[in-house]
Amino acid sequence: MTDDILWSLDDVPADAMAEWCAALNDDNAIHLDRAAAEANGFGPRRVNPGPANLAYLLNALMAAGRGNEIVEIEARFLGNVLEGDRVLVAGTPATPGMEDTRLTLARVTGPGAEDIEPVLQARIGFNGRRPEE
Amino acid sequence: MATQEEALAFRVPQGRYDVTAALDERLRSAARAPGRHDAEPAHPIMAFVAALGGMGMSIRELSEALGLAFAQGPVLGGCHIRLHRPVAVDRSYVIDTRVSALQRKPSRRFGLADHLTLAFEVTDGSDRVCEVELAMVFPGGEAA
Repeated sequence: MTDDILWSLDDVPADAMAEWCAALNDDNAIHLDRAAAEANGFGPRRVNPGPANLAYLLNALMAAGRGNEIVEIEARFLGNVLEGDRVLVAGTPATPGMEDTRLTLARVTGPGAEDIEPVLQARIGFNGRRPEE
Repeated sequence: MATQEEALAFRVPQGRYDVTAALDERLRSAARAPGRHDAEPAHPIMAFVAALGGMGMSIRELSEALGLAFAQGPVLGGCHIRLHRPVAVDRSYVIDTRVSALQRKPSRRFGLADHLTLAFEVTDGSDRVCEVELAMVFPGGEAA
């Protein structure tokens, strides 16, 4: 991965998963119960809700001052983020005037530069590409 | 599992969702996002949250109504969000939902999986605020 690292989080918080589930009216047990996650083949850690992963990716654009200019988000979820994971957002920094950008959220699975697993890829469109009313 | 025809004909009740400043702050904290300034809209993820959270039934209820294996831990496969305007805080939104696809497919991650696609329209009661389409993947391909 040669893109810039735009945002990172060292320890995906397990206690936040219940907050996401409440807001989403979603009681999917893989987010709330380690035993359920393991029973369903996700391993012994709770699975971060997908919208939380997308929020991490959007944080990188908020940090660049472009969070309020987003008009379109196309995202593909390729894998799961688990409690305690280290994650990072990589891509081209969003600069003023840029019409869209592509970002990746990845899990850091080890100490090496190659120990990166992309879990979410997204194209984000900004003002100027606002969809038809 | 419901047939594609049955799924498309299924009527999801209209729902509402209140986006409060307090909820926005809680989700920003959960996402480790910066706090909101006074005039700023909600975190952009709130478009997704309002759509799914404000659906007229829970995702568990909808899954069970369609014969999908919710207990096996569905995951998000993709989403497409069109924001016509930012989601504001301290506003109530109306959510209209339809099932746009239901298919059983081979899955790289799960062997066989049921793919449910939902389309949401979020309005502030009169004007369209955002459209959200999301694809959920139900592992196993059999109802629990």
